[in-house]
Order: sequence, then C-alpha cells, then structure tokens
Amino acid sequence: MDFTIDNEQKALASAVRDMVGRRTPAEGENGAGPRPHDAGLWSAMAETGLLGLPFAEDVGGFGASAVEVFVAARELGRAGVQSAYADALLATSLLAAAGDGLVEAAVSGESLVLPAFAEPMRAFAAVPGGIRAEVSGDEAVLDGFKGPVRFGADASHFIVSAGSEDGTVLVVVDGSATAVGAEEVLGLEQAAGRILLRGADADQALTDALALASVANAGQALGAMESALTMTTDYLKTRKQFGVPLAAFQALTHRASDMYVSVELARSMAMYLAMSVAEGDTDPAMVSRCRVVLGRTGRHVGQEAIQLHGGIAMTSEYAVGHLTAMLTALERTYGDPRAHLGQLSAGVKDYSTVTVLT
Amino acid sequence: MQRSLSAEDAQFQANVREFMTTQIPAELREKVTAGVELTKDEIVRSQQILNAGGYAVPHWPVEWGGKDWSPRQKHIWLTEMQAAGVPHLLPFNTSMVGPVIATFGNQEQKEKFLPATANLDIWWCQGFSEPDAGSDLASLRTTAVRDGDEWVVNGQKTWTTMAQHADWIFCLVRTNPDAKKQEGISFLLIDMNTPGIEVRPIQLIDGGHEVNEVFFTDVRVPAENLVGEENKGWDYAKFLLGNERTGIAAIGAIKSKLAQVKGYASRVLDADGTPVLEQPLLAARVAELEAELMALEITVLRVAGNSADGKPDPASSILKIRATQLQQDVFELAVDVAGPMSLVWLIEDDALGELEDDAVVPGWARRSTPTYLNFRKSSIYGGSNEVQRSIIAGAVLGLKA
Repeated sequence: MDFTIDNEQKALASAVRDMVGRRTPAEGENGAGPRPHDAGLWSAMAETGLLGLPFAEDVGGFGASAVEVFVAARELGRAGVQSAYADALLATSLLAAAGDGLVEAAVSGESLVLPAFAEPMRAFAAVPGGIRAEVSGDEAVLDGFKGPVRFGADASHFIVSAGSEDGTVLVVVDGSATAVGAEEVLGLEQAAGRILLRGADADQALTDALALASVANAGQALGAMESALTMTTDYLKTRKQFGVPLAAFQALTHRASDMYVSVELARSMAMYLAMSVAEGDTDPAMVSRCRVVLGRTGRHVGQEAIQLHGGIAMTSEYAVGHLTAMLTALERTYGDPRAHLGQLSAGVKDYSTVTVLT
Repeated sequence: MQRSLSAEDAQFQANVREFMTTQIPAELREKVTAGVELTKDEIVRSQQILNAGGYAVPHWPVEWGGKDWSPRQKHIWLTEMQAAGVPHLLPFNTSMVGPVIATFGNQEQKEKFLPATANLDIWWCQGFSEPDAGSDLASLRTTAVRDGDEWVVNGQKTWTTMAQHADWIFCLVRTNPDAKKQEGISFLLIDMNTPGIEVRPIQLIDGGHEVNEVFFTDVRVPAENLVGEENKGWDYAKFLLGNERTGIAAIGAIKSKLAQVKGYASRVLDADGTPVLEQPLLAARVAELEAELMALEITVLRVAGNSADGKPDPASSILKIRATQLQQDVFELAVDVAGPMSLVWLIEDDALGELEDDAVVPGWARRSTPTYLNFRKSSIYGGSNEVQRSIIAGAVLGLKA
C-alpha cells in the first residue's frame, strides 16, 4: 500500500486551491445553510477539469482516477465550498456506464445532470421504493415526488431511480419536464423519460457510481475536518481568557488532540476508499465501513470545533460553524452511519475478519 | 497512491504466513488464540524458532539480525504473526532494549547482548517506573553513584513486568542529582543475580501475577554496563517509548481476538435459540468495531514508516491511544457475550495454562472478566493515553501553555 501523493496530484490540488481562491463570493453568500448553485464556480470547475477527472478521454474526460477525485474534493472541502460535485460525478458515472451521449455535456459542464434518488419521508437508498416506473420500451413514465435534490433548480437533467417490472430502472428526465420547488423536491406528474439502465446493469452501475461519489464525499469531509482542526488550534493559541491563551488549559488541548486522532483516522479511510475505487473495488461493505468512520469522525470534529471555539463559532460570520454544517450534510449523503451499520450488521456472521491488505 | 500489494509483497506475505502456521507449534498458537497465559519456557521456545527463521528482530540493524524490510513488510510480518496466534516476541528484548543497545550501545555491549537478546537467551525486564515516578517518569529517584569501576545503585522500581522471569533489567537511574531532572538520568544494564536485588510480586485485579516491585540496595554494577553517554538516558528512554507505543498497536492480535469473540457469539444463544451474534445491537457493535479497526490498521500502515533519526513520529501517539481503546472495547464485548458465564472466573495462576474450552462453562467465558479487567492497563502503560494527548497537543498541534 502506498499513500504517496505524487507531483501531478499535488499540482492538481494546487490548481483547485487557486481556482477556489480566485472565486468571488456571491452577494450574501456567507449566510447560513445550503447555498444556491454557483454557475461561475461550476464553469471554473469544468475548466480545471474536475468534472471529467475519472472519465475516459474520448468523452472529454481526463482518464485519471478516483484518487484524483479525492485530491480535488479535499481542496473543495478545505475551502468550505458547497457544490454539486459528488452528485454530478455520480450522475456522470451512470451516463458513462450506459454509454449515453449526454456524458460529454456533463463532463464539459454544459449540462448539469444530477441524480434524483431520495424521496420525502423515506430513508436514503439508491432506490427508496416509493416510486415505480411504468416501462414502455425504452421509455418510462414516473409519478410522485423525488428529492430533496440539492441544486435541483439548476439541473438540466435528472437521473431518476425507480422500481419497475424490470427491476431497478434509471430514467433520464429533462429538467424542463419537472417542477422543482423551494424545498428542492421534484414533482413528477406522469413525467416521461428515456431509460438509461435497467435491472442488474442498473444495480451494478449504481454500486460503482455511489462508490465514486462516496470518494468525493469523503475527500470533502476530510478537507472540512482539516480546516476545522486548524482553525480550532489557531484559536486556542491566540484567544486569551483568565489572562492566558486557551492553549494553557489541558481540558481543551486534550480534546483538540482527540480531534487530531479523528482527522487522521478519517484521512486513512478517505485515502483507502479512493485507492480501492481507483482499482475497481466498489464493494458496498468496504464503502460502508469507510463511511461509518468518516461519519463518526466528521461529527466529532465538527462538534468539538464549535465547542472549543466557544460563542464565536455560533455566529454566521465565522467559518467554523459552516464547516460543521457541511460535515453534518456530508454524513447524511448517500446513507447515514446508522444505515451503513445496519447493512454491515446483516453480514458480520458470514466472515471472520476484515482484510485490509490484499 | 496504490492500495494493492505488489507481487513481491504478496509473495512476502505468503512466505510469512507459511512459516508462522507451519513452524510454530499449533498447541502454542491455540493457547495464545484462546487468551491462555504461556509459561516462560513456551515463550522462549517460540521466540527461538522465530529467531532461527529470521523473524524475531527484522526491525533491528541488518548487522545484528535485521532484515531491512519496508515499513509495509514489517506490518505484514507483525500482522501475520498475530493473526496466526504466534506467542508474542518478548517486547522488553525485541522492541525496547535491543534497539537501544543497537543504536546507542558500544561494540562490546552489542556483541555481548544483542545475539542473546534476539534469541531470548537473556530475558530482560524494564526498570523505568517508580512509586513516585509514573507519568512523570523523569522525576525518578533510584540513584547510581560512581565508585571506581562500578556504579552503586539504590532505590526502587515498580510495575516491573515479568521480573520474576528476568535475567537482566534495563534501568533508568539518576546519576546527576544536581542537574535538571531530565538531564541527570542514565541508562544502566543490571544483572538480576547481583546481590542486593529483591523482587516482590504485586497481585493484580485479575488475580494474576505479572508485575513486581524491584528493590535495589547497594547493588554494584560494572561501569561498562552504562549505555551511551552518562546523563543522556532520557534521550534513549524517549526513543524506547516511541518504539513501545508503535508496538502496542497490535492490530493483528486485536483483529484475531474480535474474530474469536464473533465465534463465541455465534455459539451463545438468545432465549429464542438464535445466536447472540444475530442480535441487531450486538451485530452493530461488531460491525462498528471492524470499521474502526480497519481505520486503525490503515493508519498504522500510513504512519508506521515515518519514524526517522531515532525520533518517533508523534503520530505514533495516535496508534497508542486508538489501539488501546479498541483492544479494551473488544475485551469488553467478550464479557458481554459471555453474559452470566462471566460471573465465574478462571484465574491464570490457578489454571496452569489449560484451555478448558470443552468445559460446561468454557474457559474463554470464565477468562472474559479477568482479561477485561487486566487490559484496563493498556491505556495506562507505555505512557498513559492522557500523556499521549499531551504529546500530540505539544509536538503536533503546537499547543503550549
């Protein structure tokens, strides 16, 4: 196992850092909560090559791998940038698996293709089960609600998951065919779309695409944790109370040390996940184990970053609380730790140990 | 970045696995896997087989039996040994005093001690802690006063693991009472058969005898037994403790124990006749422990190679903290799986190393509580986990008062 980040990957990280640094924040962007889609940022991400990193060159991609996705996503997370990056990679991966013509526009950033998997009042699953598709040849008709889909109001296309008589179907629905409300929920009223993948092919493509999106999610989570830790330790060194820096209080420094332990465990899992997916291993159990650890560590680091800062972290002007909000969202994207542990629990009796080194 | 083992490392792994599972006697490995205490003779026998095969001290300098393996290969070696239930190498020899002598000792000391230390012809124990010097180790008071060609040692050491078996003890002694406390300490090797040494057992909460008090009264030690420079012992101790922390992260052993506990949990039944392993809460605890152990194992692989120039990577503190937490969690899970059977104890000193797995209340269940209690030690020894947090805060995060 080799954890070295090579010079090309370092250059990519540096390019993403520069890109994020050049960005002009939109009016009111520092407000709390989910932010709208930033078209300027999205073009910059497309120009920097991020949208096509792991995809083949003949569709406009870079022919790189999940490792590069991790490297780029980590920088986005460090800067606290909210974007549709992981979701777009998920959708593009499905398009690529199907050999669909829309893949080039997705890679170039011309189209914003997003997965619409979640359903209101349902736990996350790739196919939550509340919506069925009426299949007719290469087309399907969908009825009901899908979402929330973050940034859904700006999507040109959705890839909608549904159950059907053919098993899982993934249906491409034109953005104009649906109404996306303020809650980022798609109202599908007898919406017709073309079938991208179905049955076992769809299930396998979903497994692979979710693994790739989980790499982006993990990279962003690690980056956000790193920034939260750095901000916290800087604050402990400079903020004075009782006439001394907060770093004089062992009750605080030991908690910062535990944050560091969490960040390093998260780093290991995020890198392992990236390397595994880059080598074609998208085993859902492996992905779930990584997500469980990233979820726990992200929650720990985010909560402690606020507590160790004190009141300042509660304010909207200060970035650390936004990092915690981001970590909270990432933990619940593509399944939360409870769901992942639930899936893992069902299998623990079937093997003796988990093999890491193969 | 690359996850897969190279063909060379995969072959290496196969070779190590082959050796461990065919050359180390199965009856010893079964005892280790069941958590049964081994006799001194059994530990010596195992280490001598490993040493003959080149598997006892591969992390030492090549000149003294080392193998110049990559950090990844060292991890494979340790993990395969532990997974196969091979009795552990005596850490006082292979991880502690051996590397100190190899790094800081003179040629005569190397020749006299290293081969015998690797082969466990000499059984070492560690004379560091004292009644008033625990986490604040540098406040130790055992003195060594120079008298001609000898040092005269007076004082008391405590928590001395396996001193009852030891031939030699490596000690931190105060050689300059006037210097700042870290700067007046030397590293001294003492033959346990020297007149004036007395070993008294300390019984622990699990009923066993593994640690001792060691008293020194006018113990005369040849001057040539001082390692490195006089009053530089604290530097050597820090070097040793860094290696100890890394060694404590016994991933293979913890994974193997968790696999055992899963086996127990598949045989203990719920009221409705289903194995407790299939209870959602227990299965979730197992799944979470497996995920956390995976994160630790990858972290070991990632940082173990960073130790350089005799200075341990402060990241080794992560491994110590996290490995001991998970080890304790696994032993706690074993007690929970044993349930009412955990109320009956099988105390090692009385059990004479018997497995008793076919008893009505099996040996593992009766060992579960004493073992759980015994391993509360692991977050205390090797620099308590709170000391590790202080190391991280200071050396990594730059948080200083």
